[in-house]
Amino acid sequence: MRQETMSSDERVDAAYAYPLEKPDRVPIVPLILDCALATLAGYTQAQMATDLDFGRKALIKVFEDFGGWDAVYTAQCMAWDQLTGFFPVKLRIPGIDVPDNYVLQVAEEEVLKVEDYDKIIEIGWDKFYFDEYLDRICTLPPDVRSAFPKMLEKYLTGCEEFKAQKGIQNAHGGGAFTPFFLFSLTRSLTKFTEDLYYRQEIVERVCQRFTDDTIAKWVPLVKQSGLKRFFYVDERASAFFYPPAVTERFFWPYAQQLVDAMWSEGIVTIFHLDANWDKNIPDFRKKLPKGSYNLHLDSTTDIFAAKEVLRGHGGIQGDVPPALFVLGDPEDIKSYVKRLIDECADDGGFVLNAGCSVPPDAKPENFRAFIDTAKTYELSK
Amino acid sequence: MTTELASALMDLKRDEALDIVKQRAEAGDDPLVMLTECQDGMTLVGKRFQDGDYFLSELLLSGEIFKEATARLKPYIAAGGPPKTIGKVVLATMRGDVHDLGKNILATLLEAQGFEVHDLGVDVQPTSVVDKAKEVRPDFVGYSALITTAFPAMKETTELLAAAGLRDDIKVMVGGGVTTEDVRTYAGADFHTLDASEGVAYCLQQMAQKKGV
Repeated sequence: MRQETMSSDERVDAAYAYPLEKPDRVPIVPLILDCALATLAGYTQAQMATDLDFGRKALIKVFEDFGGWDAVYTAQCMAWDQLTGFFPVKLRIPGIDVPDNYVLQVAEEEVLKVEDYDKIIEIGWDKFYFDEYLDRICTLPPDVRSAFPKMLEKYLTGCEEFKAQKGIQNAHGGGAFTPFFLFSLTRSLTKFTEDLYYRQEIVERVCQRFTDDTIAKWVPLVKQSGLKRFFYVDERASAFFYPPAVTERFFWPYAQQLVDAMWSEGIVTIFHLDANWDKNIPDFRKKLPKGSYNLHLDSTTDIFAAKEVLRGHGGIQGDVPPALFVLGDPEDIKSYVKRLIDECADDGGFVLNAGCSVPPDAKPENFRAFIDTAKTYELSK
Repeated sequence: MTTELASALMDLKRDEALDIVKQRAEAGDDPLVMLTECQDGMTLVGKRFQDGDYFLSELLLSGEIFKEATARLKPYIAAGGPPKTIGKVVLATMRGDVHDLGKNILATLLEAQGFEVHDLGVDVQPTSVVDKAKEVRPDFVGYSALITTAFPAMKETTELLAAAGLRDDIKVMVGGGVTTEDVRTYAGADFHTLDASEGVAYCLQQMAQKKGV
């Protein structure tokens, strides 16, 4: 078997430098949210959701128990992401809103009202969010909420020490939702769809304001992080939900502005794309600069077909199906990872990840097979 | 011939459709005739979807218009007796999951086709589904899930339906973002889809077979 010739950092950087570079083997960068870390580390969902220190301990424990991987997602505790503004929706939090052993869940309902659009356009999303909106969605007890800044600082310091010790990077230098996804979640799918058909002008204006805010805030922060990757989430703008005319008008102008702004600083945009984007994949090649993007697919989009469309132009990552982690066995995982490596990683530009994220009830032996196969298969060929 | 009401619904002209319903209801038109016209409009929406001219968003919007129209018709329908239903469906997002977008869309589309839908909501215990099935004797039971933690409750429900002697008379359906054919097998279900309109087509086809059409 060949030996690894790159460090984890070099390997991850090479994969995102597609199509200019190719890593020695596929980098492994699994998106694991707090719910899956809790299960794999042996903590309860309630512990993870109400004490941020468990997030740090669980990440370190799972990383070490499973032999490690190439870059980590930190700050993936969703109850806390609500307080930072990354996850701007009502949540059902274990130990508070649902039983201790339930996973944290999104409770999508119409919280943002049509009349809020004007206010956001006037004062910007962040001010609106922290001054007014957060109180509409947050169910964390006041004492937990007020302890948050110190806990976050401790958590992030701990994670930084851990990463330095292991010689690995964070998965990205910052992240946000697309305006399409943000307003779909905060207005609710049904209400935002009505807005897209019956209130088009104000939707365009609020999407533009949010995009301006995102660029102004995140380009400097990602530069400062030293990581040339931005995590950009959309689970709604695809042809699974909407006709091309809607995506063309309400998704692409803002996605292009964001990618252009990031790419002008050499930052690659990772699109975290849930639901089926099969029909939209060619547009990424047509509308975005070569090398400026990487698509994280969730297993409902055909990743193998996407690879052929994007070959030589943009990177991809994914997409071991969540259901396979839960219902399959290690041989199923091994076969699927091998197929991904054979068909999607042959010319680089591929990052091994779960489809969407590692599910909270993934079998430990399947997660281990996912990691081990990626570390050995390509080098043994 | 497509009526004005069916056309307005098909073309997603919400205000126009609701105005027609209001005016005709107040003028004493038969509410069941108007309900049928709304259902015709939804059938045309479904055809556009099957032809690739409409997308899920248009199914969703037409469903919302349909719901508003039927809500306006309800007081008039109540006076004239309930409309005929073509089959019964019990739907639930199972224990461990509170996500219900897909289920809600399916429920609306099924109602628009004339099915009697018993939507049990989210985070539903298997025994609640079985109790409802005993009570209403549905033709279909549907489980919806966006996260994998709902899978065991799906399996448990199917087993409980079998133990209660109900399984043979019920087609069990599975749908939602993380579901696959493997999940269908695991849950002991008959049908799997990620597409609400496919779910409606399946129910219509099964009912046609059942009635020997």
